[in-house]
This record gives sequence, structure tokens and C-alpha cells, in this order.
Amino acid sequence: MKAFTAKLVDLTQKNAETIARQWAKDIKTNIKTYSYHNTSEEEIIHQAKYFYKNFQMMFFNESPYEQAKEIFEKYAEERYKEGIPLHEALYALILMRRHMWLYAEFQSMFNAEVQHQQAVGSLSRTILMFDYIIYVVARKFWEMMKLEELKKKDIQ
Amino acid sequence: MQAYAAKLIDLIESKSENIARQWADDVMKHNRTPSYHSLSKEMVIEQGTDFYRLFRRMSLAKNPFEEAKSFSWKYAEELYRKKIPLQEAIYALILMRRNLWLYAEFQGVFVSVLEKTQAVESLNRTILLFDYVSYQVIEKYQELIVGSVERRIGAVKTLMMKGGMVAKRNIYKIALMIVFLFIASILTYYNHADLKSEGLFTHLFYIPIILASIWWGKKGVYVPIFLGALILVSHLIFLSSVSIWGEVIRAGMFIFIGGVIGWLMEGIKKVEEIF
Repeated sequence: MKAFTAKLVDLTQKNAETIARQWAKDIKTNIKTYSYHNTSEEEIIHQAKYFYKNFQMMFFNESPYEQAKEIFEKYAEERYKEGIPLHEALYALILMRRHMWLYAEFQSMFNAEVQHQQAVGSLSRTILMFDYIIYVVARKFWEMMKLEELKKKDIQ
Repeated sequence: MQAYAAKLIDLIESKSENIARQWADDVMKHNRTPSYHSLSKEMVIEQGTDFYRLFRRMSLAKNPFEEAKSFSWKYAEELYRKKIPLQEAIYALILMRRNLWLYAEFQGVFVSVLEKTQAVESLNRTILLFDYVSYQVIEKYQELIVGSVERRIGAVKTLMMKGGMVAKRNIYKIALMIVFLFIASILTYYNHADLKSEGLFTHLFYIPIILASIWWGKKGVYVPIFLGALILVSHLIFLSSVSIWGEVIRAGMFIFIGGVIGWLMEGIKKVEEIF
């Protein structure tokens, strides 16, 4: 199972640029990520590469939640400053995960029946990582939004 | 694959309350969902049951994304009213999904190799549902926050003269300010030259000072500077025998008040941009 998971992460890492380009094309046209439509493609690809690179580190870390906090709070802060709404920032992350899987499927990683069986474990691990990321990103956004709201109350 | 998915859906629906109870136990003591610890257990279970029942409706719906809204919006509104932070509302959803899978595994749904193979597709389907619900819950939360901010700064926005065309609005603001400054000049002349008094009329100057700061932020400080200079020059011309220190303090206060309001308004404008 571990070898299979490693294979998936390795594939993502090696092809980060290709997957990032596919993802960029998707979010620049997806109706649920409207705020990304006017962002430069290079900037978007840079975001995805950052994500895939750090995702690998997180995947094999003994405490992935702590690692997620370290990496993705910065990601949340940057998106917040860019004025991307949280639901769009998180949907962009969801699409990153989908593209990772799409690419793996496209590369016929899941063809054999036994690989399908192993894939359940791998899929579960990927989802767990995303659960942590989503929680960390949502918490950071919420903190920053609350901070702005508090400033607002002070002003009034 | 279809038959397998149907088997899972049947299990979820028939055992929705059991899974919801299991989820409630989890979410009500989990360290990432502390705000749930004090909620009524019945309410939490009801939320869970609603969610697990949505599963069948979504699998039958032509447009599952639209179908998910019936649950997501209600879920977001309820939790927002109870002041549950967004990240906890999302984590509670994540736990719903985990408990669903835990229950299915516990019931031995994924025992054989073939079933495990089929489970990949089923797992994908479940994740898709959660993707939709998470997106909609966050979107609704954001909408509710924006609504609350809008209500709070409603009065300020009225004073800011929002709405209509920007160019036209600016012309109205400048015209109105010119009228205010003209009236201020007449009042100053009348009080200083005719009544020979410093008077209380300068309190009226706070109207254009505050409006200028609301409309133009920090740049609005030119109005208190003008009014301060006006009373000082007028004093030197018409009231040269009286001490000028009172006017100096007044002029200083104009600039101070205008500057502070202008600075605060820049903050409000930033909040507005964010939301």
C-alpha cells in the first residue's frame, strides 16, 4: 500500500508542471472559481506548483496536520490578500486534488484490479491530507475575516 | 458499480440515525470542533440525519449540485446563527464523511477484493458530494458575513452617497462642499467683522469636516486645513486686538478630527473592498 501511495505522490511531484497547467486551465474557466479568471496563468501555475511540492512533504510527514498548518496558513493568507473569496480558494484546492487524480488515472495507474484495491487506501490518505488543508485554510480565512470585522466594530 | 452504490446508499439511508448518533458523539468531543461541545445533542443528531438522507436525494437528482443546496444552506444558516466558526462547521462535515465510511467498514461492506475495487468509485462519489456541500456551506457563510457587515455599515454607506454613477456622485459632493465652504466663509466674516465675536458658529464647521473625511478619506483633510486657515486669517484681520490662541486650538481640532475620521474611513473602505 505504501509503495502504491509513494508512486502516486511521486508521479504528482514529477509531473507537477503538467498537472499545474491542466489545473490552471480548469480554474480559469470554471464557473465556481470566478475570481481566478483574470489572474495571470503563470501566477496560477506557480500556486499549484507550490501546492504539489508541499503536498508531498505533508504526505510523508509523521504529523501532517502540523505540517499543513505551517504550509497552508501562508497559502490562505496570500489568497485572502489577493481578495479571493474563501469558497473559491477552497474549490481551487478541490480541483487541485481532482487533477492529481485525473492525471494518475490518465497515466493508467489504477488499471489492474489489485491496484484498485490499493487505491482505496491511497485515496483515503489523500483525502485526509485535504481535510487538514481545508480546515487550516478555512480557519486562517475566518481569523482574518473576524479581525477585519473587529476593526470595523472598533471604528464604529 | 451502480448496484454497489445503491447498496451503500440503502445502508446510509436505513441507518442514517445510527450514523448521525455516532457522528454526534464524535463531533461533540472532538478538539477541532469545540463550539459543538455545548450544542444540544438532539439538534446535532438532526443535522447528521438530514445530511445522510441527502445522499439518496443527490444520487437520484439530475443536478446533484442544486439538490445539495437544500441541505447546505440550512446547515450554514443554523450554524452561523449559533456563532459556530466556519472552520468548525467544515470540520464537522469532514467528520460526517468519515463516520459514514467508518460505519460502512464496520458493517463489513468493503470486505471482498471486488467490493474494494468497486469502493473506489463509490468513494469518489461520496467525495464529490462533500466537495459540493463544502463549497456551498462556505459560500453561504461568506454571504451571511457580508450581509452582517452591510447592515453594520449601512448608515456610513448612506453618508458616503453610494449608488449611481461615480463621476456624477463626485460632482455632487464637490458642489455640496463648495456650498458648505462658502457658507462657512460668510459666517466667519459676519461673526468676526460685524459681531466682533469668535462665537459658537465654528461648531457648524464640523459638518463639512466630517462629510469631507467620509467622502474622501485622508484626502478630505484639506477641508479642515482650509477652514482652520480661514478662521485664523479672519481673526488676524478683524479681531487683531483679541488673543488668537482660542482660534489656534479650534483650527487644530478641525485638522485633528478631520484626520482621525479620514483615517478611520480608509479602514472602512478596506473592509468594504474585502467583503
